[in-house]
Amino acid sequence: MNHRLQLRQPPALRVDARGLAPALLAALSMEAVLRLRLPQGRDELAVGDLFTVASSAEGSGEPAPRLVLEGDLSRFDALGAGMAAGTLEVDGPVGDATGQGMTGGRLHVHGPAGELTGCAMRGGWLEVDGDTGDFTAAARPGDLDGMTGGMLVIRGRAGERLADRMRRGTVAVFGDAGAFAGSRMVAGTLAVAGRCGAHAAWGMRRGTLVFAGPAPTPGPTFVPVPSEAEVFWHLLSRSLARCGGPFESMPGRRIERYVGDLAVQGQGEWVVAS
Amino acid sequence: MRLNGIDIDDTFAEAFPMKATRLVITAREPAWARHAAVAATGLATSVIGCGCEAGIEAELAPSQTPDGRAGVAVLLFSVSGKELAKQVERRVGQCVLTCPTTAVFAGLPEGEPVALGRNLRFFGDGWQIAKVIDGVRYWRIPVMDGEFVAQETTPVVRGVGGGNLLMLAADTGAALEAAEAAVAAMRRVPNVILPFPGGVVRSGSKVGSKYAALSASTNEAFCPSLARRVPRSELGDGVRCVLEIVIDGLADVDVAQAMRAGLRALVERGAASGLKRISAGNYGGKLGPFHFHLRELAPAADAP
Repeated sequence: MNHRLQLRQPPALRVDARGLAPALLAALSMEAVLRLRLPQGRDELAVGDLFTVASSAEGSGEPAPRLVLEGDLSRFDALGAGMAAGTLEVDGPVGDATGQGMTGGRLHVHGPAGELTGCAMRGGWLEVDGDTGDFTAAARPGDLDGMTGGMLVIRGRAGERLADRMRRGTVAVFGDAGAFAGSRMVAGTLAVAGRCGAHAAWGMRRGTLVFAGPAPTPGPTFVPVPSEAEVFWHLLSRSLARCGGPFESMPGRRIERYVGDLAVQGQGEWVVAS
Repeated sequence: MRLNGIDIDDTFAEAFPMKATRLVITAREPAWARHAAVAATGLATSVIGCGCEAGIEAELAPSQTPDGRAGVAVLLFSVSGKELAKQVERRVGQCVLTCPTTAVFAGLPEGEPVALGRNLRFFGDGWQIAKVIDGVRYWRIPVMDGEFVAQETTPVVRGVGGGNLLMLAADTGAALEAAEAAVAAMRRVPNVILPFPGGVVRSGSKVGSKYAALSASTNEAFCPSLARRVPRSELGDGVRCVLEIVIDGLADVDVAQAMRAGLRALVERGAASGLKRISAGNYGGKLGPFHFHLRELAPAADAP
């Protein structure tokens, strides 16, 4: 069963929406979905109190369950958190921690997302058409590792501390990124097509920071690399091109490289496309 | 069975299961990919003395390789996955890592993974870095021309080794020309290699020897110089030279396809070419599970 949930009006308080998982809802009837409880602080609300639900058996035989949410969900946090399979589409803005710890499936937000978007993400594909807040693809508060897998595409701008402590996976930002983008990165790929704020890649240990647009001036703890990395760039640029937009032209572009942050392990690299 | 004046023996080639993998070697220029591939598949004619059987399968266009550069596909076969892993590491480490501008990738989509760049990375002495792109892990090892990129593992599958054709000819020239024609046709078949020099072997062997130290020795039944001296010679009058083509393939159907192509090329040339008979080597059928019967693969057998 595929469901389409339309928000009647934004709730007065924030709602923990991690229960709206495509795989879970696909197994439920419309009545059961209406009765499903979502936490709101110490209380709970039924889905039926918030949404009108349209259900259809059409396409229910498809291997990947599909769930569509509509409305201003900016007070709904943790949408798609822990999601492992299926497709979740949100037509409107969403709250914080969207896609937190997701391991698989596809989550597409046709609007902006709040802070901690894709934090601790482990797999799957998360796409945000609008801007995202601070600590996107970073670690959960108190955790050592940020994003450890999957693909996160942000068509707008990203806030500060983008991909902080990121360990694996790919983040592509079409717009600008705030200060400390890629700070304390352990590995993985962060690609930014717009401008980066101050202190990009501060404390970067390993990983790759690709500047498809204007790159900041590397700090004194980053050094230029004169040698070519043709094979690596062929592989990475083709992968990034699949994100579309400003990254589509990446395979044909020449690059300059810098490594750092020499203040720490110093095996991270900046790739500046010209 | 006689086709176009050439006798096709009522016998079969007996082949064995092997472990196999495909590597894709690319380079800035095709010539350098070929240099690496030739070196990496050198001294790899027979598992008896080389540890593996290997050869160049095909040259690849840029659109067929992971990094968009021209390359070469090579196949390696060995008797066990462990031995194959050892051979892959040694050959790629000595012949591909060392060759300017090359990179190496796994060429099979799935199978039991064995180390490709996973152990070679230690050549980087701590400067190596891993990069996961689209779920595939690569190792980037700093070298004097920049960096050597190697995929972490390569899948190993069950292959088939030891398909063969024996060409019995009136003289050495006719046997060589027949073998060259068959090799040219068989090399167009995908998923197979002909591991011997030029694809051809003159020293067909049997299992065992009168000398305890040897596990294989000359197959006197097909030696023209011994035709009238050994009790079970396979050669009649008029055969003065025998050559063999050995085929290893990723599956039995691939070996059969290559043998079919070879037989067709030989038969089409006719008896006037000096080729008298086509036969195949086997061990009585009790050792190898794959039997390729010549008369089922001969061109006439293809007709409805």
